[in-house]
Amino acid sequence: METLPLNFLIKDSPASIAIVDPNMHFISHSKTWLNEFANGHSSIIGQSYYDVIPDTPKELKRIHKECLEGKPNVNTGYKLIHSNGAVQWLKWKINAWREEDETVGGLIIVQEDITEEKRSQELLMKAKSVARIGGWEMDMVANKLYWTQVTREIHEVPTDYVPNLEEGINFYKQGKSRDTITLLVSRAMKDGTPWDTELQIVTAKGRELWVRAKGEAEVINGKCIRIYGTFQDIDESKRTALEYQKVSDRLAIATSAAKIGIWDYNVVDNILVWDDNMYDLYGVAQKDFIGAFEAWEACVHPDDKEKSLKELDMALAGTKEFNTEFRVVLSDGEIKHIKAKSTVKRDEEGNPLRMIGANWDITKLKNTQLELLRSQESFEGAFENSAVGMAIVGLDGKWIQVNKSLCKSLGYRKSELLKLTFQDITHPDDLDIDLKLLRKLIDGKRKSYQIEKRYFHKNGSIVSAVLTVTAVKNIKGALSHFISQVVDISSRIEVQDKLTKLLDITSEQNDSLLNFAHIVSHNLRSHSSNLSMLAGFLNKEENEEEQRNLIGMLLDASESLNETVLHLNDVVQVKAGTLEEMIPVNLFKTIKDVKKNLGVLLREKKARCSIDVPTTLDIIGIPAYLDSIFLNLFTNSIKYSSPERTLILKISASKIDDTIQVSFSDNGLGIDLDKHGDKLFGMYKTFHKHKDAKGIGLFITKNQIEAMNGRIEVESKVGIGTTFKIFFQIN
Amino acid sequence: MMELKKIQSTCIIDDDPIFIYGTRRIMKEVDFCDNILVFNNGQDAIEGLKELIDKGEDLPEVLFLDLNMPIMNGWEFLEDFVKIPNPDGKKVIIYIISSSVDPRDLERIRNYKMVNNYILKPLSPQDLENVLQDVA
Repeated sequence: METLPLNFLIKDSPASIAIVDPNMHFISHSKTWLNEFANGHSSIIGQSYYDVIPDTPKELKRIHKECLEGKPNVNTGYKLIHSNGAVQWLKWKINAWREEDETVGGLIIVQEDITEEKRSQELLMKAKSVARIGGWEMDMVANKLYWTQVTREIHEVPTDYVPNLEEGINFYKQGKSRDTITLLVSRAMKDGTPWDTELQIVTAKGRELWVRAKGEAEVINGKCIRIYGTFQDIDESKRTALEYQKVSDRLAIATSAAKIGIWDYNVVDNILVWDDNMYDLYGVAQKDFIGAFEAWEACVHPDDKEKSLKELDMALAGTKEFNTEFRVVLSDGEIKHIKAKSTVKRDEEGNPLRMIGANWDITKLKNTQLELLRSQESFEGAFENSAVGMAIVGLDGKWIQVNKSLCKSLGYRKSELLKLTFQDITHPDDLDIDLKLLRKLIDGKRKSYQIEKRYFHKNGSIVSAVLTVTAVKNIKGALSHFISQVVDISSRIEVQDKLTKLLDITSEQNDSLLNFAHIVSHNLRSHSSNLSMLAGFLNKEENEEEQRNLIGMLLDASESLNETVLHLNDVVQVKAGTLEEMIPVNLFKTIKDVKKNLGVLLREKKARCSIDVPTTLDIIGIPAYLDSIFLNLFTNSIKYSSPERTLILKISASKIDDTIQVSFSDNGLGIDLDKHGDKLFGMYKTFHKHKDAKGIGLFITKNQIEAMNGRIEVESKVGIGTTFKIFFQIN
Repeated sequence: MMELKKIQSTCIIDDDPIFIYGTRRIMKEVDFCDNILVFNNGQDAIEGLKELIDKGEDLPEVLFLDLNMPIMNGWEFLEDFVKIPNPDGKKVIIYIISSSVDPRDLERIRNYKMVNNYILKPLSPQDLENVLQDVA
């Protein structure tokens, strides 16, 4: 054999080629062989194949033996498992070479280590199985459909199942999936357009599955000869994805409906991402958004910028959560109040990487808050400055808040009042009804009540008020406190009292006027009847002496009539509420003057007078009335003095508050007040057997005193004496 | 004119001397009675009438009572008079005689059962004749 040129050729062959003699000793080999199969030997010529590759399995040795007998052997992939467990894939082609004498001179071995290739292939197969990727092929010429094992598994059909095209298509779920695949397959068959889509099938066992179907067509001369593709079970991931989609759709709907903007800020690279709501919130067009921190900063209201940036820094530093409010100014100048919250994502060392957060519009809330504040302020203003006394009262009756008017009405300082309960300062007679009504409020039987009640002023005086109490409920509907409005009607009550008094006086005067009319008619009638009777007698009387007697009586009767008319005139003058002006009159001087005028009478009686009246005391009154009053009192005391003892008169006066009290007492006969008290100051009432008793003096005195807004009282005991007390108002 | 039996004893309680004079005179004219007792106020009358009873004498048959008098007026007299024990139980006929035209007085008089009638002053002879008729 011409070895050399052959050797030369073999040496540089890119394939692993070795030539061995019948004893399996290397005669020649390619460099590649030395690299691949020399097991580190630098030279193998002359050495035994089995020495160089001691791991050669018996099977291969047997093949070698057969080949040496003239039988060629080809193997495209043989898996060798070495004693150490290592796997090696070999591919070979072995032929015997013959001497010129046709005897076998040895073997030509072309051998290749395909372990790497085989491993990839194996991995791919495994991966396909694990990823549940099946294959299929439609031979249009033979009209046959081939499915791989995984494809059958996905369809849950028996391993020997052979489908046709129609059956294959019918596995797709009726409706959108089947329509889609039909369209895609027919389009691919028409013009070779490949497809890659996700659809639902219904397996032979009736389960719905999501699959990824890929396919392409082989078109030759405008005719589709085959379509083939893969078929992957993606049910789990698809369902997960769908679920995720649903959740994120829901979130999107929620955030959009709530107008919550979501943002994502990459701190390291300064990339800011906004969702659609953010653009709406900030009134920024998506195309104008620069996608960086500065885009946000530019929108923040200048007055809030410093604070917001500080809060952001604190959030990034981790000292405080980002949970803040700020205003943004929109391009049209509108100002929105934004509430912002976010979390910071950090690397393992704690450095901030991202901030993800939410923004929402709280303008309405803020405005409502402002309005509330304003209305609260105006309520407080109204409360504090109200002319009506107002208070917020706790359920226990404690004053929680009181206003100026209430303090003024009750005479307490605010701090003093707040330490008390309303019960403390309510008149005991009014407390029961107040508490009873309050109980009804607490029980929810009433919403408010109004009563007229009395409080005690700090100085002890009574404050009359109209109280209105309204129950206030908190947001949960439970009773929270009461609002009390206290309208001080003390002055009104005073006026009312005055009016009542006035009315009393008026009706008294009316009564006395009626009385007066009857008295007038009675008194005048008694005289007139006497006169007519006497005149009648005189007319018939013939006896001269008797005539003179009758004339004398006529004179008496007419004198009495005259006197009566004069008295009545006095009374009328007082009754008419004289128009004379009230002026200051010195009391002491008045009494002294009256006493002087009665000097003769007093001396006759040997009366003793003690006058204890401050000389400076003035009474606002009508001088003539005062003269008349004291004249009458003096005269009465003289007229009704006791014959058994010397008349002693004691007159004193003092000023108590705004009243001047004059006391006029004697030690005379006295009057039985039990019997006559009610008639003492009546007209034409006399109580003593005295020729001068006319029963008009005290009636006039009383009327004169009352005309000057005063009053008169009497104390008396029969046989001991009488004391008149007169009270004059200074004002 | 009917012949009427004259009254034995009558009593006038009034503080007006002219009225008393006039009444006495008319009583004499119509021959009203034998005896006339006069008191100037209620108090005197009560005391005087009590004295009569104490002495065992008869009370006057007819009593003319004024209303307005000092010390004790006609009303007060009536109240005290019913309290006087009357041993022989003979009824005293009482006439209120007054110049009052006050309807309140007339109303009040009606409430006193013991009061026989009311005579408005001035007293006339006819009034006394009517009294005589009543008594008979």
